[in-house]
Amino acid sequence: MGASVVVENVRKAWSATSEAGEGAVSEALAGVSFSLEPGDFVALLGPSGCGKSTLLNLLGALDRPTSGRILVDGHDLALLSDAGRDLYRRRTAATVFQFFNLLPTMTSLENVALPLLLDDVPPAEADERAAAALGEVGLPEKAGAFPWQLSGGQMQRVAVARALVVRPALLLADEPTGNLDSRSGARVLDLVSDLVAGRGVTIVLATHSNEAAARATRVLRLRDGLLEA
Amino acid sequence: MSRVAPLFGPLLFRPLRRDRLRFALTVAGIAVGVATMAAILLANASVLASFSATVDVVAGKAGLTVLADGPGIPEETLERLSWLRARGVTVVPAVVATAAVQGGDGDVVEVLGIDPVTDPSVRDYRFNSRSDVEETTLGRLFAVFQRDSVLVPAPLAERLGLTEGSELGVFAGGAARRLRVAGILRLEGAARAAAGSVVFADIATAQELFAREGFLDRIDLVLPEGLNDADRAALEESVRDSLPPGVTVGRPERRTATVDRMVRSFRVNLTALGLIALLVGTYFVYSTLSISVLRRRTDIGTVRALGASSRSVFLVFLAEGAALGVLGSLLGLVLGAGMAKAALAAVGGTATDFYLTQAAPSLALEPRALLTAFLTGLVTSILSALAPALEAAHVDPASTFRHGSVEASRRRAVKPLAIAGALLLLLAALATRPGPVGGLPLFGFAAVFLVVAGVSLLAPLAVTTVARRADRLAVRLLGVEARIARANLTGSLSRTAVAVAALSMGISMMVAVAVMVGSFRATVVDWVSQTLKADLFVAPEGGRSQRALGRLPEEVVTLLERVPGVASVDPFLSFEATRDGAPFTVGSGRFALVAAHGDLPMADGSDTRTVLARALSRGEAVVSEPYAVKFGVRTGDLVTLPAVDGPVTLRVAGVYRDYSNDRGTVTIDRSLFRRLFRMDGAVSLALRLEPAVSPEEGRRRILAATEGRFALRVQTNASLRDAALALFDRTFAVTYALEAVAIAVAVLGVFSTLLALVLERRREIGLLRVLGASAVRVSRAVRYEAAALSALGIALGVFAGAAMGWILIHVVNKQSFGWTIRTDVPWAFLAGALPSSSSRPSRPPAAPPASPPQPTPPPS
Repeated sequence: MGASVVVENVRKAWSATSEAGEGAVSEALAGVSFSLEPGDFVALLGPSGCGKSTLLNLLGALDRPTSGRILVDGHDLALLSDAGRDLYRRRTAATVFQFFNLLPTMTSLENVALPLLLDDVPPAEADERAAAALGEVGLPEKAGAFPWQLSGGQMQRVAVARALVVRPALLLADEPTGNLDSRSGARVLDLVSDLVAGRGVTIVLATHSNEAAARATRVLRLRDGLLEA
Repeated sequence: MSRVAPLFGPLLFRPLRRDRLRFALTVAGIAVGVATMAAILLANASVLASFSATVDVVAGKAGLTVLADGPGIPEETLERLSWLRARGVTVVPAVVATAAVQGGDGDVVEVLGIDPVTDPSVRDYRFNSRSDVEETTLGRLFAVFQRDSVLVPAPLAERLGLTEGSELGVFAGGAARRLRVAGILRLEGAARAAAGSVVFADIATAQELFAREGFLDRIDLVLPEGLNDADRAALEESVRDSLPPGVTVGRPERRTATVDRMVRSFRVNLTALGLIALLVGTYFVYSTLSISVLRRRTDIGTVRALGASSRSVFLVFLAEGAALGVLGSLLGLVLGAGMAKAALAAVGGTATDFYLTQAAPSLALEPRALLTAFLTGLVTSILSALAPALEAAHVDPASTFRHGSVEASRRRAVKPLAIAGALLLLLAALATRPGPVGGLPLFGFAAVFLVVAGVSLLAPLAVTTVARRADRLAVRLLGVEARIARANLTGSLSRTAVAVAALSMGISMMVAVAVMVGSFRATVVDWVSQTLKADLFVAPEGGRSQRALGRLPEEVVTLLERVPGVASVDPFLSFEATRDGAPFTVGSGRFALVAAHGDLPMADGSDTRTVLARALSRGEAVVSEPYAVKFGVRTGDLVTLPAVDGPVTLRVAGVYRDYSNDRGTVTIDRSLFRRLFRMDGAVSLALRLEPAVSPEEGRRRILAATEGRFALRVQTNASLRDAALALFDRTFAVTYALEAVAIAVAVLGVFSTLLALVLERRREIGLLRVLGASAVRVSRAVRYEAAALSALGIALGVFAGAAMGWILIHVVNKQSFGWTIRTDVPWAFLAGALPSSSSRPSRPPAAPPASPPQPTPPPS
């Protein structure tokens, strides 16, 4: 089942140092509100620097808003303890990155099994589920390969498998096709829309590709830290 | 070079400033290696320099010197040489011996007994002018003609608070004596002998002091001017023909060569140890530079894209290695000089204890020793910078670095490296077979280094094999942290394997030396308990110097035999001789007593009583194991000794174990010794008491019987055993100190590698946090990695150390000193030391930022 997400008037400001001058404050998000139903597939569109990544970080409990609230399935992320946030990242919100971010020192199978093992799933079961996830993304034969032996598209598919394997309620994808040629990009988007959306997972896909946005059921446009109407 | 200069800022100096800790650790690592080497070289150079300076000063203007190769030069020799006067040669006799100063800080002084008439023609004497009345040198020298008078160099006089007319108390030949200071000498000419720790007396006074009546220690010959080499050689030959047996003639310098030979084994052993310490230092340079290259990869790519040539980049990193080498080596020299000074002072110079009865030498900052240590440090630093510098030069400006691909190429090298390592171990095994080269166990040392190198090359295979094999089990037992740790271990193989190799080097040194010294000690303890069975041991008093100097007169032997309660007295008497230029000892004891008590264990396990009884009845000799090994002598062979009436040849009845002297000893029965060498008295005596008399009581009686006439050191069995073991431990104290430092450095090195790896993996750690790993688990993974590194390093180190220990015991020691040592592993010591040497980073890794990993620039 997907997660319900409520974002209430969220602001995120950085007290900038040398770059923007003494005491200057730069605002990445200037009061954003929206809510998502379970199973929503939202494309977050906007130019570079509009605050997409900041918003995804907040949704992934990697960072806390300066003001405002984010509720996921009714829980305020800001109120979670550190352990609670770790647990949230392990079980509820999975992330796919633009640069894949596979651990270079682990095989595909080990990379996919990692979040399960972090969640104390027994190793045998973790391997089994990881192998199944690799099968789902069409890379069963690459289980023993290291990231540097894979193409960009294959790496991103392994990353999708890693996100899927924990059966998350919320998938956060940050420009997942930004680093891929168009065919590999389309393949990854197919996986996201078919596999993930098909299971009712709530998806937030940050992108500036209209092609990617076309797959979404809903589009939110960010500009200068604000949602465009 | 101008193209290289602009790169130093961005690629070198700034990053170094950012990495101060690792930079400092690297410099320290090199410094320790260089310091160890410098200390050893300097200490040795100092011992030799001080000895050779004394040889030069004492020889003065002598063109030839007559020396004893036996108990001494009989005074009649002077008459045999009287023809030399007609040839314009001045013949200058002298007696040289060592006395202990009463009170003071355990000073010992050389006593040079001279003939005031002839001596000024060979040696210079300058008096401290006390008044404006300038007396002639000769006139003042006659002052020593007075009985019990000495001349003292000014610095020594000042140190001991002596002035002209005051008294100097010494222990000499087992008696306390007071000598009148007849004059103070300037520190010039002969007064510089033994670094100024010398006094001059009349020959007769010196002979009487040291019970050497009728004997001389040297005769210096001052040759007429304008003698060509051929004349000189002819003269030398004629002199040789006039000399009695056991007396030799040669150029004065030959003594230094003999001493050099004596301390050579010792020096080579220590230098090898220093080289291993330096290996640990080179690891630092390699590790620091390869991590530097890795961390600066993007920067290197950028400057390459801006037009810097790969050669310039290579030079920059090579320069970094050289800079670290220069800094570390300079620091090492300073440290090394300090260590050498401390060693010479505290230990009194281990070499001095064993080889030279001479005042402790002062530190000589010999330029060649300093340069050798410095260059070794610099060259090894540059060599270990080569690989990382090449790697830096190959950074392609166009492509982004992908960690895995570089490591992948390294992983392909694992097998070839392991095969090379196995081959080196095989070579090591072969190198244990050949005998010594020129008396030095060169192949033995080669074997030790081959083991170190071979095991280092096996480290990558050990890491990958253990990582692969242990992964599943470890994940089941320890959780996912174990997998992260494993992935990190194999993922950064080039650095983790080097860290493992470095740690194993440190550990192997410790294990090898612990096994060697432990075995040696156990063997010596055993031997001491077998040989030191008498109740009391008597030697001449040496004051605070704690040294037994000189010989006790025969009177002491007879006196002690008459003390009530003394059951038997076994006097030991000896002198030094040479065989083929190598020194050995000729000793004697009462074979009847040894045969009765059996306290002289034989090397081949045969019965001491039988061997000694046979030797006594047939007039045969027994030789010590070092003598047998050094000169290749076996039971039944013949040995030749320089008797007063000409060389005598004796059959060897057996070989006995002896760990007190590595020169080797030929021992014969006392009565035979006295007949052959016309020498009596004793260097030391072993006394057995009647059962009713306690050692303490016996000691009191002896001191009472000799009070006022002799100054004796009487030690009970227990205290002599303690003293023997204390001397043993003192000898190895320096070794242990070096070991401890080397290991500390190795552990620091592993710690610094881990720290660097954690910094390098910031991005991956961030990713783990995103995947939901808590900070605790991430830090646990790093600890597992550290534990795995340590465990592998220790395992390899123990393996290598055991092999090295075996080689040290059975090859190096046997060939250097001729000692058979029983292997005895000091389990308790190792068990205590090993866990503490495993590296535990005390600090969890830098808490990773709870934000997604920073993206690297996209590949083009």
